Amino acid sequence: MGRSIPLVEKEFVAGFRQQTEWAGLIASAFFFGKVGSGLFIMSVFLQSRLGMLIGLLIVLCGKGGAHMLYLGRPLRFWRAMSRPGSSWVSRGIWAMSLMLAAGFIAISLPPGSPLFMPLAIFAVICAFVVAVYDGFLLTSSPAIPIWNTALMPVMCMFYALLGGTTMVLFLKHLGFIQLSGKFTALLPSVEITLLVVNLLIVLLFLVGSINTGSAGRESFDLLVKGPYAVPFFALVIGVGLVFTLLMSFVAGPRAGAGTVALITVADLIGHYFIFFLLLKVGVFKPVLGFLKI
Amino acid sequence: MRLGMVIDLKRCVGCQACTVACKAENGTSPGIMYTKVLDQVSGTYPNVRKQFVPVLCNHCRNAPCERVCPTGATHKREDGIVLVDHDKCIGCRACYVACPYNNRIFLKRGKLKEGYYGKKMTPYERAKYPEHQDGIVEKCKFCSHRIDEGLTETSCVQTCPADARIFGNLDDPESKVSRLIRSRGGRQALCEDDTDPSVYYLD
Repeated sequence: MGRSIPLVEKEFVAGFRQQTEWAGLIASAFFFGKVGSGLFIMSVFLQSRLGMLIGLLIVLCGKGGAHMLYLGRPLRFWRAMSRPGSSWVSRGIWAMSLMLAAGFIAISLPPGSPLFMPLAIFAVICAFVVAVYDGFLLTSSPAIPIWNTALMPVMCMFYALLGGTTMVLFLKHLGFIQLSGKFTALLPSVEITLLVVNLLIVLLFLVGSINTGSAGRESFDLLVKGPYAVPFFALVIGVGLVFTLLMSFVAGPRAGAGTVALITVADLIGHYFIFFLLLKVGVFKPVLGFLKI
Repeated sequence: MRLGMVIDLKRCVGCQACTVACKAENGTSPGIMYTKVLDQVSGTYPNVRKQFVPVLCNHCRNAPCERVCPTGATHKREDGIVLVDHDKCIGCRACYVACPYNNRIFLKRGKLKEGYYGKKMTPYERAKYPEHQDGIVEKCKFCSHRIDEGLTETSCVQTCPADARIFGNLDDPESKVSRLIRSRGGRQALCEDDTDPSVYYLD
């Protein structure tokens, strides 16, 4: 019966309705937020000030810029900080602002300052919120069932950690970051582990979304059978996870800068497109459900 | 007091008079409709059934749009009407994706520079467009401006030629809306989302 309800756009017909407002720029904001905060978290852990700075700049310019371009009234953006008690958008902006403030102050302190570590840890906590809040934002929307799953924040967190690890490896191979021997040996294994975990989470998400009601099923069909199936399987699964995993596994720590750059680009492509496609396949339920004869 | 609406699906003839009345009342730009009537068809010929489903903001008691709004632009009045403060809205559209009824409309930048006849606006459009802002989200206001002036019906209710829309106080057990909901078993759309909408449908 569910298949007889049409997927409609702006027609005056009752049916499943695709959301059209959150797409490219919001996906970019999510992407830059996760990559930047992931890089910041990993850089604090690896004690790389340059990595921290690049992470902060990605969040400030990438995420902040995408949000400002997206807002209908960007000059009123400060108003979005007024309701952290109930709105995940508000909480995200607070977390982002505090992360940037604490992060930049920590970096500007002289080496050996006793304030560095407390500020860096506070900024890491805020960066963690920046990485996962968009998952909670999507989950808190009851209207679109495929987003309404507890796996969404988990997926955001692991994608952020994967993006951060990939960026650290990339910056290390370019010579921007110096790591001690044990970290240099450890990072490729962390990357492979995160890739496997992310692949499992994406598969679990897909299996779970089959049973999220008729609108969730409609979203699932759009993603794996409909117009978004090719980019999903080619870019998200193929390039973003499987190719990256194989390359990381085969090339490993011996990989040259070119190979690492290729792995980084592939990973970031998969990272961007998973959230872009998940936004695109968001489907509203029909207002009055089924019509029986 | 909690204002609400009852929509009798058996009476609705799908004439879209409510859609037009709402547009005239609010002076919305082309493509912007706070309410409209959707067609719903089931079955295959010759066993077919068609019904018309008027949709509008449901002014939910537990409104997800109000909860997710980061600025407090979306707020609820004491009479249950959910409104958007145009001066506070930043156009983030969090409410758009949170509304299960998909009844929020984003006015793109520049949307108010053109009317129904292109860049040359009619006197009516020139008078009404200053009530709107582009770059923000709008929606049905249950004609709050009419209620504030002492009128008892929204524009769509007053216009409906089939008496398919009834407006009143849901908290008053003797009001027409409450009696209809009781006697005809009014149901709320997508009640599984726990929004407790103020719009009831009668089958």
